[in-house]
Amino acid sequence: MSTPTTPALLTLDDLQVTFRTDGGPVRAVKGMSLDLRAGEVLALVGESGSGKSVTSLAIMGLLPATATLEGSISLGGEEIVGRSEREMNSIRGAKVGMIFQEPMTALNPTMRIGDQIAEAILNHEELPKAEAHERAVALLRRVGIPEPEAKAKGFPHEMSGGQRQRVVIAIALACKPELIIADEPTTALDVTVQAEILDLIRSLAEESGTAFLLVTHNMGVVADVAHRVAVMFRGDLVEVGTTEQVLTQPAHDYTRRLLAAVPRLPVAGEHTPSGIAEGSAGATPALSVSGAKLSYRVKGATIHALDDVSLTVAPGEIVGLVGESGSGKSTLGRAALGLIPVDEGRVQVLGTQMTGRWRNERAERKVRSRVGVIFQDPGSSIDPRITVGQAILEPMQVQPQLAPKSRADRVARVRELLEAVELPGEYADRYPHELSGGQRQRVGLARAVALEPELLVADEPTSALDVSVQATVLRLLGELQERIGFACLFISHDLAVVHQMSDRVAVMRRGKIVELGPVDQVLISPQEEYSQRLLAAVPVPDPAVQALRRAARWEGKHGDAA
Amino acid sequence: MSTTAAPAAASRQGRGGAAASAWFWRYLAKRVAQGIAVILIVTLIVFALMHLALPDGPGSGVLGMQATDVQIAAFNHEHGFDLPVWQQYVNFLGQIATGDFGTSFEAKRPVLDLLAQRLPKTLLLAVLAMAVALLVSIPLGVAQAVRRNKPFDTVMTAINFVLYSTPSFFLGLILVIVFTQWMHLLPATAPQGQTVAAVLAKPQGLVLPVLTGAIPIIATFSRYMRSSTLENLGEDYVRTARSKGTPVNRVVVKHVFRNSLTPIIAMLGYYLPVMFGGMIVVESLFNYPGMGLLFWTSAQKSDYPVLMGCMLIIAIATVIGSLVADLIQAALDPRTRGALK
Amino acid sequence: MNRTLPTPRLPEAGATASAPAQAPRSNAPWRRGARRFLRNKLAVAGLSVLVLLVLFCFVGPLVYQTDQTHTDLGSALLKPGEQGHPLGTDDVGYDILGRLMVGGQVSIMVGLAAGVLATVVGTLWGATAGYVGGWVDSVMMRIVDAGIAIPATFLLLILSAMVKPTVPLLILVIGLVSWLVPARLVRAESISLKQRDYVVALRAMGGGHGRAVLKHIVPNSVGTIVVNATFQVADAILLVAYISFLGMGVQKPSTDWGAMLTSGITYTYAGAWWLILPAGLCIVLIVCAFNAIGDGLRDFFDVKGQGE
Repeated sequence: MSTPTTPALLTLDDLQVTFRTDGGPVRAVKGMSLDLRAGEVLALVGESGSGKSVTSLAIMGLLPATATLEGSISLGGEEIVGRSEREMNSIRGAKVGMIFQEPMTALNPTMRIGDQIAEAILNHEELPKAEAHERAVALLRRVGIPEPEAKAKGFPHEMSGGQRQRVVIAIALACKPELIIADEPTTALDVTVQAEILDLIRSLAEESGTAFLLVTHNMGVVADVAHRVAVMFRGDLVEVGTTEQVLTQPAHDYTRRLLAAVPRLPVAGEHTPSGIAEGSAGATPALSVSGAKLSYRVKGATIHALDDVSLTVAPGEIVGLVGESGSGKSTLGRAALGLIPVDEGRVQVLGTQMTGRWRNERAERKVRSRVGVIFQDPGSSIDPRITVGQAILEPMQVQPQLAPKSRADRVARVRELLEAVELPGEYADRYPHELSGGQRQRVGLARAVALEPELLVADEPTSALDVSVQATVLRLLGELQERIGFACLFISHDLAVVHQMSDRVAVMRRGKIVELGPVDQVLISPQEEYSQRLLAAVPVPDPAVQALRRAARWEGKHGDAA
Repeated sequence: MSTTAAPAAASRQGRGGAAASAWFWRYLAKRVAQGIAVILIVTLIVFALMHLALPDGPGSGVLGMQATDVQIAAFNHEHGFDLPVWQQYVNFLGQIATGDFGTSFEAKRPVLDLLAQRLPKTLLLAVLAMAVALLVSIPLGVAQAVRRNKPFDTVMTAINFVLYSTPSFFLGLILVIVFTQWMHLLPATAPQGQTVAAVLAKPQGLVLPVLTGAIPIIATFSRYMRSSTLENLGEDYVRTARSKGTPVNRVVVKHVFRNSLTPIIAMLGYYLPVMFGGMIVVESLFNYPGMGLLFWTSAQKSDYPVLMGCMLIIAIATVIGSLVADLIQAALDPRTRGALK
Repeated sequence: MNRTLPTPRLPEAGATASAPAQAPRSNAPWRRGARRFLRNKLAVAGLSVLVLLVLFCFVGPLVYQTDQTHTDLGSALLKPGEQGHPLGTDDVGYDILGRLMVGGQVSIMVGLAAGVLATVVGTLWGATAGYVGGWVDSVMMRIVDAGIAIPATFLLLILSAMVKPTVPLLILVIGLVSWLVPARLVRAESISLKQRDYVVALRAMGGGHGRAVLKHIVPNSVGTIVVNATFQVADAILLVAYISFLGMGVQKPSTDWGAMLTSGITYTYAGAWWLILPAGLCIVLIVCAFNAIGDGLRDFFDVKGQGE
């Protein structure tokens, strides 16, 4: 498959990885063959459990002891499977570098930044410490850290997530390896930071000819930086091709389904704005927040989580709430449920004021019978000690006046709800640990709509899920909304998902709503500078379109200075 | 109920030095206030116990058997032990604040004098035992974590398990049988001296008491150190270090060790009362003239002022100890150290 | 609302593998836990030792009858095997084997009851502090700090000096000095549990505090509580021994393993090993057994397990 003119830098030949587990051997990678040429950015994509991260750890020789490796991995023509730990140490960092997903924890919190970079150099080269430190500072400058001399003496906690990821990249670059493996390098970052890190990776690949193996689940990221794409599905490599080919004319069935499941933002001009859905004017709003303020004190600094926020959700209307981490969107979600009292301002749910005070407890509990809620983490959304059926039954027990009276009717209702989220009725007897993340979120959805609520608060309900699973959950949520007609506050960091789900959208930043309006207006032709920047930073899964967007963003960023 | 979103975001942004330093002083003030509250509660407990033991005041104890009821009543009146209970407590607090811990019924001397004589010897024993324990348990815990579930780890875990489950006086007894009775190597009683110097003059007599004190601590702390190291070995930064080509052993020494040690240091302060509690047993087994032995003999003779004095001193030492341990931990952690400068 | 939802039906990767189609009911958490407990060899050994020791102490006296109330100086300090005493006699002529049985009854009963008492008090205290939070929590935890600042052996000695200890008193006293650690643990647990999404979701759907505590927080902290209770029992048995060693334990002719061990100390230099070794080993065995069981219970209650 590779052009004979450039020899392959990395060749995987029938690579197989098997894990020993209590339930018998599990084959994570089932015979994978792949070439990576020098200077190439190859994206390895797939959903969780596809084996993409296992493959990258196998190349680094960092698999846990329970894994066995078969087949061949050759780097620059040399076989590295079966090498001793000592030999692997001379390869790691020198010939292959690695960038990890979670920049917040990837660095040693008690070691100076400069020392952590210098360590990578001193592991492989004989040179005075002072010189290694000079090179560390140069590397920091190279990855775009301002004041590199000062930062080298600092510690990780003094840096933002994006800066820390740059430091991790500097470590990977330290010995000028021919190959850098980047395992979901931008997944934990906000979109605006993600765009900057992707720019950095692209410039490193172009300027120094470093090859990148980019492991990701995000098709937008692929379209932005990759030359070629390899698609994995349950341990098998199902498709390899140029980014253009794979993203626009996928050959394999799985790739097609995967791409179809990716939510996309329509591009301005190509999309006819739909009529703005008006909430029934005059009726009591499902949710009304006015002038809400809420602040925390964190280690001496005051954080304004909500800073004069006003927002109304009409009956039957879906309002999206987008923003980056720390924007206050989740706080607003909890304040809307009356779970966190606001310092100033007013929160009304279905006409009842929520104060979060004990005195008002009875009235608030009563109105909550008409509210449903879904949270982000499928791991803790259901009590691990009760069955799925008991979890769905809970709202009926808490609000018996709204539930069927007889036990048999309630059990029937649980089945009905499970079927509404497309799970078999027998699942009522199962425990949460027997379900996948997506199934648990569907159970959470069933529980949330058990009493046919008038308002649903969904806080990042799909951000921990794979795209295909996300598509199912979003479709079910949409169907249930059409049927029951509840109003919904839909919180997400994913602009495309919010666009797909909502009628109106509010963009939050640092506790304030910066822009509020119909989705097509705000998410396609935003007026506010911040919304524009946010939107421009989202990579779209189409290489041609993304190239244009990148160029436009680049112009916006650097054009003024020129 | 507070959400974690905002604080997480705050720390992600990093903080200015001034805000951090203000935050640190507020934290310190809070910790000191908590410490004072704890000491006040301890005095309340001690006072309540004293009052339960001697509802009519300490007159009879101080004056002895020969004193008449009239003399005792006069003494109690003179020292305010016939006042309302709350007033007695206030007086008691005032006395402690001026360093007056009362007078021993037996020795007829101020409690503080007795403590000044006995406490240094107990501290000597405790510090030696702790030093030995840390020198053994920290490397042991790290070594076990690195060789997790290998024969070395399994055997050491089993030994720790048994040692942790053995009463220390039984352990001391076995040491005496082995080292004194069978091998005739070491004396079975501790050196008897009035001062620390006198005790140190016969160091061989200290070996068994120190070992007896140290072994249970070794069993406890090597377990903590093992799990703390294991926890750190699973952290992401270890994987980053390994991806640079750093060999595992060097990762442990350069990265993991320091990060695993800090929680252990923070625990030392809270471990003080357990240590002192253990010292009673060691001192009475080896007849070592420290505070533990004083406490034990005083308990048998119902010499309450001495008992209360010992308890107060240790409680105050614990509160100060845990504050110091917290500060040391803060100083070792760059996330808080910036504020200390 | 005229939006179109994409409706591809994709298999959920990884889901089907971990949840087989005909999952039997045996997947209830307690059954999985039992399997994990039984896989822990140490815990199984501990449980066996405990059962044997309990049988020995409570059933043994029915089979092997000895006089444990009247001293018999005529047959004092007999060596094991002499005059039909398999483990010899002590300094006042009690048969050691029989005495191990009655002494063990006291050690086990006091240890168990005190451990349970400490756990109950500590759980209620810690759960209240953690769930209510705010200044209530601060005050309650400062009291715990103060209790921890006073060595348990000191308090035990003072209380024993004030009242001559009987079995119920010992239980009360040991229970009252040992509830602090479980209080701290349960507080931390309930603070973490009350922030779980399923508790927040319950509150959001209008559920009350009572239901949150009883249906979710308590059942989910049972693991921590029970595991810690086992360790509390082990520690309480050690404390009983310490009190007896310090001469403040139950009064003769009643005894416990710690008291037997202590009264034998003076004779060890004369070579009367049978006075200390059996009692000492019994203490080590039973404390080890409880600690091992606690270890196994930790596996038992780990709901998340290795399933992921």
